[in-house]
Order: sequence, then structure tokens, then C-alpha cells
Amino acid sequence: MALLEYIANGLVFSSIIVLASVGLSLVYSIADFANFAHGDTMTVGAYAALVAFGVIGGLGAEILGLPLGFFVALAVGIVVAAVVAILTHKLVYEPLDIDSIGLLITSIGVAFVYRAVIQLGFGAQVTEFDIQVLRPIDALLPLGVRMTLHDVAILVSAVVLVTALHVLLQYTDLGRKMRATADNPDLARVSGIRTDRIKLWTWLIGAGLAGAGGGFLGLYSSVSPRMGFNILLVVFAAVILGGIGSIYGAMLGGFLIGMIDQLTPLLTDVGIPIGTEYSYAIAFVIMVAVLLVRPNGIASEVGS
Amino acid sequence: MSDETTTTSSAEANDGVDDAVLTVEHVDSGYGDAQVLDDLSLALADGEVACLIGPNGAGKSTVLKTVFGMLQPWTGHVRFRGADIGGMAPEDIVREGIGYVPQTENVFGSLTIEENLRMGGVARDDDLTPVIDDLYDRFPILAEKRRANANTLSGGQRQVLAFARALVMEPDVLLIDEPSAGLAPNTADEVFEDVLAVNDLGTAILMVEQNAKKGLAISDRGYVLDQGTVRFEDDADALLDNPEVSRLYLGG
Repeated sequence: MALLEYIANGLVFSSIIVLASVGLSLVYSIADFANFAHGDTMTVGAYAALVAFGVIGGLGAEILGLPLGFFVALAVGIVVAAVVAILTHKLVYEPLDIDSIGLLITSIGVAFVYRAVIQLGFGAQVTEFDIQVLRPIDALLPLGVRMTLHDVAILVSAVVLVTALHVLLQYTDLGRKMRATADNPDLARVSGIRTDRIKLWTWLIGAGLAGAGGGFLGLYSSVSPRMGFNILLVVFAAVILGGIGSIYGAMLGGFLIGMIDQLTPLLTDVGIPIGTEYSYAIAFVIMVAVLLVRPNGIASEVGS
Repeated sequence: MSDETTTTSSAEANDGVDDAVLTVEHVDSGYGDAQVLDDLSLALADGEVACLIGPNGAGKSTVLKTVFGMLQPWTGHVRFRGADIGGMAPEDIVREGIGYVPQTENVFGSLTIEENLRMGGVARDDDLTPVIDDLYDRFPILAEKRRANANTLSGGQRQVLAFARALVMEPDVLLIDEPSAGLAPNTADEVFEDVLAVNDLGTAILMVEQNAKKGLAISDRGYVLDQGTVRFEDDADALLDNPEVSRLYLGG
């Protein structure tokens, strides 16, 4: 059953896309612009994790086939991505008195800067985490699913992070303020919410999730200066599909786009000669088709 | 912006308002380079309801936005209990004891009623539950729908929630921008009753109202704005009886 394998692959790829798309949508909802540096923020997280892992090593213990040191390195990647994003917000976006289109264009420049700095430091070559590739989990092989423990680790970590974000948004004071600020920033200030601080928290969380996504993307495939940029269009597709600015829409959109991407081999299996090289294109076609029916994305509220 | 001469009845340094809690003194203000308010002065006494009326574009909403820090006064002063609050940010002004209910988009549509009220009290350090329970007692429709998202409310119910959100802070002064805008006449009357109910708690109210007659009818004091400045200022009843005001601004 190839289908099960594709679904398993889809779950893993979706996990990475969801981490990135949720962060992108979060920042869009409060900073109010489409951040084209989000993909390169993932790259920053991946390289920070790579360097940290090189320094601290495996640390002995293993969790889901991954050395404990990888998770520590991932945390470093998350922190570095968040700090870089906050500095960028403070030094670049905040001082600029321009509209959201101006900020969008600025963020393209910021993306180039991130990428150039990484390339200066690490070169343009593709590298990998020094972690041994695992054999697929034996128990799943009879089902035709080749899935490693690392894949499971990516999936579990993404579920944990997204669940944590959900709990934060729904059940904490900060989360309610973030939702209120995203809903109506003027009314948020009128209510007494210090929206500047909320914006900082949003950058921190959004970029942190991007850093995590970058770290996992590096583990899933490889680490290179263009890794985040290459995946950015797919992440945008996920966010737009879900309804830009909607966090839960981004979760759904990320899941669907990741799935569609990995289910593409199904087409050749049933005799349609469209190869996996078209997987992104198919995801975009489906995104356009959905937008024709729901112009504001799946999670948009009808008539409001 | 205007070369018209002001009428003799225009406000001059707010004479006639004793124990003013809020004063706007000779304020110019506007959006970007576009001036809207021109040497505007007015005052609100403790515990009263004052209504700003006047044609579209007269600057009524701009007065509220300038008082509440959404716009900066270019010149002049905004004083609350004697302290100059001109130029302070909205999130700070709300902590001083002034509340603001915008005309539109005045609830957090994607948040529940309860969450809207909690957001209204973010600047309070104490437990919000008793305050919110009080508001639920006063506005039972909100208690009924506390777990529903605010965008499921009708227009009138939204307006009630918008008031309640601002009241969580128990402000001394509440600025209300066109409470009856977009509401059916019956619903508008109910909202005006709610305005009076809020005032009964001792909250002074500065209200902008398109429906000048109804607005003045529930007010103690009235200001007629035209071209960014106060043309007439008087007791609300007296303005309603003023033939010139009636002819020019109340539609005969």
C-alpha cells in the first residue's frame, strides 16, 4: 500500500510546513505584513542548531533515535532565530514609517542579508547534521511504510509545539492579548493592551517556531543557505490556503499543503504522467482552486 | 482652515462649566497634514452627559480621538482632572480613568464575550471576576452569551458589549462615538437608555451623535461643532429650543 507510505511522508513534511506557516501567519496577524524573511529565519535557526550541535555533541542519551544534544541544539536554533527576528524588528521594521507593502519589500531585503551572512560564514555548500541515518521502523514495514524514528520525532515535536501554541493562545493572558491585538489593534490599545510588547512576543514566538521548523527541515533533508528560501513559497501557499492571519487556518493549510505535496506520486501510480517534480505546482493549483471558492482562505469567516 | 468668523456663542475657555473633569482647550488637530479641529474648546463636568452634534466632517469624532490619544493635539491642551493628557498614548490614558467606545469595530469579533470583557480590564491589577459579574448582572444578554464569539451578536448587543468592555475599568469619563450608528430606531433607543444607565453609575459621558435631537434629549449639555470648532454651546434643552441651531443643525 503505497498510499499509507505517502500519508506517513505527508505527516512528516506537513509537520515542518505547519511550524513555518503558523509562525508566518502569527507575525502577519500582528505585525501586519507578509514577512518574506520568514524562510531565511528558518535557515538561521537551522544553522544555529547545526553549530550548537557541533559544539555540544550528542550528550549521550537518545530520544526517539535522536541524541539529546540535538534537542538542545534545536532549542539554541529556536532562541537564535527569535533573537535575530526581534533585533530585525527593533532595528529595521520598527524605525521605518512605511505601510505593509513597504515592510514586505523591506523583508525581502532582510532575507537577502540573512542569507548572505550565512553564506559568508558557512559557504554555499550543502551540509548535514552529523547524526546517523536510521533504518525504517521494522513494525511499520509490513504496512509498506518506511518511516524512521527521526520522522516520528519531527512529527511528535511539531505536535507538541503546535499544541503548546494553542494552549498559549487560548488559555493564557498573553495569548488572549495576542488574539485581541490581531483581531483589532486599535481597540487593543484603547483597552489598555501595550501592543508594542505584544508585537515583540509575536516576533519571538513566530520566529522561534520558524527556527524549530528550520532545524527539523535540516534534519529531514539537509542544511544549506537557500533551504528556507526554497520552501518559503510553499509556506506562503499554506498560509494563504488557510486564510492569511489565521493561526488555526495556517495549521490546516500547512497540513493540507504538506500532504498534497507528498501525495503527488499517487498520480503516476494511477497512470497519470505527472511526476513528483510537479508536487509544488500541484499544491499551488489546489490553493488557487480553493481560493476561487473561498477567496479569503479556508478558515476565513464568511460574511464578516 | 476656515475664514468664517466664529459666532459669539462659541466656547471661550469653557466658562460656565464648574467642576470640569475633562477640558479641551484651544486645540488644533487632524490627520497627517489635514487639519480638522480649529481652536476647539469644550468641557465636561463631573457626572454629566455632554453631546457633540454637527454636520458630517465637522470634527466630532476627531475630538474624541484627540482626547483619547489616537491623534495628537497640534496646539492647545487636553486636561483630565487638571493634568495635561494631550499626547499621551491610548493605552496610558485608559489607565488614567477615561474609557473610549469607538463607533465601529468596537468589539473583538473573534473573541468570546467573556474574553472581550477580560481585555477591557487588562490595565487592572485586581481580580476582574467581581467587576465582570457586576456587568453581567447589569447587562444580562452578555451573561447569556458569555461563551459565544462577539461576532455572533446583533448590532445592539455589540454596542452593549462595547460599553461593557470600556466599563470594566470603571472609568470616570466615557467617550462614546455615535452609539446609535447603524442601528434600527428601536435598538438605538435601547442603546441610549444604556448610555443613561452608565451615566447613573456616576460616569461622565462625552458622546458624539449623528442623531442630534435624540442625542441632545438624553444629554445635560450640548456642543454644536461646525468646521472643526464649537459654534454653539449650551444646556442641551436650550440648544434644542434655539431657533438658529434648530434651523441650521436639527433639520428645522
